[in-house]
Amino acid sequence: MGVGIRDIVKSQEITFQDMDNKIIAIDAYNIIYQFLSSIRQRNGQLLEDSQGRVTSHLSGLLYRNARLIENGIKPAYVFDGAPDIMKEGTLEKRKERKERAEEDYEKALERGDLEEARTKAQQTSRISAEIEESSKELLDLLGIPCIQAPAEGEAQAAHMVKKGDAWAVGGQDYDSLLFGAPRLVKNLTITGKRKMPGSQRYKEIRPELMVLEDILNELDIDREQLIDIGILCGTDYNQGVKGIGPKRGLKYIKKFEDLEGVLEEKDKDVNNYQAIRNIFLEPKVKDDYSLKFKNELGDVKSFLCHERDFSESRVGSALEKIRDGFKKREQTSLSSF
Amino acid sequence: MLNAEINSNVLKDLVDIVGTIVDEVKINLNEEGLNLKAVDPAHVAMVDLSLSKDAFEAYEADETELGLNLKKMEQFLRLAEAGEMVRMTLDEDENRLVLEVTNITQKMALLDTAGMTDPNVPSLDLPLSLKVKGKYVLNGVKASENISDHISITANPDGFEILSEEDEDMVRLSLNEEELEELNANEEVRSLFALDYFSNMIKCVSKDTVLEIELGADYPIKIQFSFAEENGSVRYLLAPRIEST
Repeated sequence: MGVGIRDIVKSQEITFQDMDNKIIAIDAYNIIYQFLSSIRQRNGQLLEDSQGRVTSHLSGLLYRNARLIENGIKPAYVFDGAPDIMKEGTLEKRKERKERAEEDYEKALERGDLEEARTKAQQTSRISAEIEESSKELLDLLGIPCIQAPAEGEAQAAHMVKKGDAWAVGGQDYDSLLFGAPRLVKNLTITGKRKMPGSQRYKEIRPELMVLEDILNELDIDREQLIDIGILCGTDYNQGVKGIGPKRGLKYIKKFEDLEGVLEEKDKDVNNYQAIRNIFLEPKVKDDYSLKFKNELGDVKSFLCHERDFSESRVGSALEKIRDGFKKREQTSLSSF
Repeated sequence: MLNAEINSNVLKDLVDIVGTIVDEVKINLNEEGLNLKAVDPAHVAMVDLSLSKDAFEAYEADETELGLNLKKMEQFLRLAEAGEMVRMTLDEDENRLVLEVTNITQKMALLDTAGMTDPNVPSLDLPLSLKVKGKYVLNGVKASENISDHISITANPDGFEILSEEDEDMVRLSLNEEELEELNANEEVRSLFALDYFSNMIKCVSKDTVLEIELGADYPIKIQFSFAEENGSVRYLLAPRIEST
């Protein structure tokens, strides 16, 4: 999902400490998908409460935000609005893939192949209205601001960083760079040991920082050209040109200057490429948003423990971390005087 | 070179005063005595301490830097009786501090001071100053510890106040102008401070010690007092907490 330019985008390691007291605009859908696919039972089933409501995302949102806030980071969540009409193809394909994964999941379960069942189940994740609503409710109880984007969450998040209201976008996709986000932090919410797909090995995941200006300087291109490379490789709005990956895309764009040049030279075609460019260059964003951090918890226990069957003691210790983080936010440093 | 003898109580005060800020410190020695500056890892509190050679029973030193582990020093001082003399010499060949009390000699490895720089002291121009007896502040802080994890300190031309509030509970220490040793105020200022830092900073203050306080509005507080019978002086700086709205 998202644009496939990973191979040419350089990143650097970043610690939680480097993000102390900084606002990170997190692409909410992206992160909730991560939680829905990774926080599951051994057989691949989602965590549920006694009423059958999914709770995997709530678990992820609570514990991961507790870690961020404990470390002095200020997370804000940006939710997707209506998808661009250009995205319909991708959405349709995702839906088909999920339906296939669901069938494969059932079959794997029947065979008793738990490993395969889990892998397939991870691909079936969907964000229902209930999941979105309960996410927002929990975030609000945790004092975390939620921003409703007019269209793409990543575009809105990038806009907020561009304006200087947030320090970086937090998410796993590179689209925010095409949307012009000066900084993107990856692996913010999945830091720690993580199982490698399709094997029993674990890999240490650490947060990574990508700085747009450094990336463009290093590749010696401008943002318009980065967008054109993205379109050549494929985005959520188009399939990409067969046989062109990020490295070749970069080479062609540098040689032929822009997408038009490459398409003409290679005798290829991309439907509506001008419209796709415009989605990245002139995305639908809004300026009336509030990044107000409440250093006060709502009744999280009643929501999670009483309504959603979470363990009181685990929730309690997460809330303790959050309170510590709130205190840290209020404490100034001598170096700021 | 260092060849000194000092009352263990004085040394203990020094270790307590600095130890609430850092575990390791660089002490600058010279012929006239010693001085040090240290800031805690979070850059919330800073200590600036000096101790004249007059605080020692005997004192002889060249200009040297000592990198000291205060935790180890504290452990050694538990071996000394109250008021017992501690002999301090430097084993320069092995880079160790040699400490002696009756029947016990301890050689303590010194820390490499190469990476230990003196912190920059922020230049603060604080609008209000006052002098207050230690006993009042000690009481106010003690009362606050039962209420909350922070205190607000307010001063104006009429007096001085330490207030702690949490939920429905509140405790307040108020002192009018007469109860203060000195008050130079043209306006009212108020700042909020983390109580754990504050309590630790006045831990070694005695009831009769006069604290010199400088204060601003949402600004760091400066607290100065002397120890070792006026032969030592301490200045603390503590960054404020800013209230969430």
